[in-house]
Amino acid sequence: MDKLIADLKEQIIEQLNLQDVKPEDIGDDQPLFGDGLGLDSIDALELIVLLQQKYKVKLSNAEDGPKIFRSVRTIAEFIESNKIPNA
Amino acid sequence: MYIRAASNISPQNTFGNQPFLQELAEYTGDRLSCIEPDYKALIDPKLIRRMSRIIKMGVAAGMDCLKQAGIQIPDAIITGTAYGCLEDTNTFLSKMVQQNEEALAPTAFIQSTHNTISAQIALLLQCHQYNNTFVNGGASFENALLDAMMLLYEGEASNVLVGGIDEVTANSHAILKRMGLYRSQPVSNFELFNAPGKGTMAGEGSAFFILSKEASGADWAKIDSVSSFYKPRNTAEIKQQISIFLQSQNTNIHEIDLVITGNNGDLKNDAVYGQLQQYDFAGVPAINYKALCGEYPTSSAFAMWLAAHEIKNGTCSFVSESEEIPLKKVLIYNHYQMIHHSLILLSAC
Repeated sequence: MDKLIADLKEQIIEQLNLQDVKPEDIGDDQPLFGDGLGLDSIDALELIVLLQQKYKVKLSNAEDGPKIFRSVRTIAEFIESNKIPNA
Repeated sequence: MYIRAASNISPQNTFGNQPFLQELAEYTGDRLSCIEPDYKALIDPKLIRRMSRIIKMGVAAGMDCLKQAGIQIPDAIITGTAYGCLEDTNTFLSKMVQQNEEALAPTAFIQSTHNTISAQIALLLQCHQYNNTFVNGGASFENALLDAMMLLYEGEASNVLVGGIDEVTANSHAILKRMGLYRSQPVSNFELFNAPGKGTMAGEGSAFFILSKEASGADWAKIDSVSSFYKPRNTAEIKQQISIFLQSQNTNIHEIDLVITGNNGDLKNDAVYGQLQQYDFAGVPAINYKALCGEYPTSSAFAMWLAAHEIKNGTCSFVSESEEIPLKKVLIYNHYQMIHHSLILLSAC
């Protein structure tokens, strides 16, 4: 899980082009949207694409989005519980 | 219509508090690229992360213009661009192919539309006023200018932000080069006119202006008129258009202090300028500008910035190093690929 969280932080920074943000600046449980990292709805779409591309994980129910994308740890948990074996 | 402020990001040091074209940048090859400022000092870093190069160039020049004029919210934002946000378009289309049209990231698509720059400026300012973008090839900037003039003359606006923007990308450069637009052999922009040949040098730029209906007392210049015409049949028709344009402004070529023409070092392209300079513009001091910014569809915005600057300074030192000529009226004549032709007449306030 720790490795996945570390990878996700780097991928989020790259995918969203978060300038002047380093992986260590993002807390595992820090909120990504709103007052946390300050991401917005376009970033949410970028994160959905990221999960699909890198982890072959699809978000089937949009209503689950806020819960899944709350923090890097919740995203990692979602990937772990939904990844296709050997994918 | 008065030019209250102007800002220009170009292949020369034209942005910010730079001395006016004091040290010219030389480029060897077939392309001139913009000298870009530190955007972090100009645009909120949170917003920069989604902006491609042309968006940053447009937003920075637009915001700088507003700052110079002391205007927080303009009555309208109007841009002209032939190619729009090419880099984003390229990213989006490439991803479509690479990813089999699946799982496409939204940002490049959202930012790829031609009106992104005027929209980004409006978003930054929270400006809900008139917002328009003209995409009409080599007449894009002129049409943006005409729209601004109509808004001002009809009393719909008092201050309008108008800009002309285009970028060169690796792909657009390669495609246009294959079409024969650019030189096959490297050339220096300083030698472009000493060694005319087939093709020119690619260019790009972002020039913005605050245009106002009323004089502010500190305006750069006045725009008397703008006109564009499409695919003239021959040189006689071009001469006729210029004559009609000047007559409509109750002037003639002998009252013009300086003509700025769009020569680009391509023999075919420059033939018409040669004829005009030999006969119709004979005796009138003339300069050209594309050695400074390269050739691109909205380069007339660079020419207007140059003219406004020269008028603001009151003299033109480009014609002869030993002689400065006083400026009251400046005529810009440019054409892009012999398709879109335009005339802009400026005068001192």
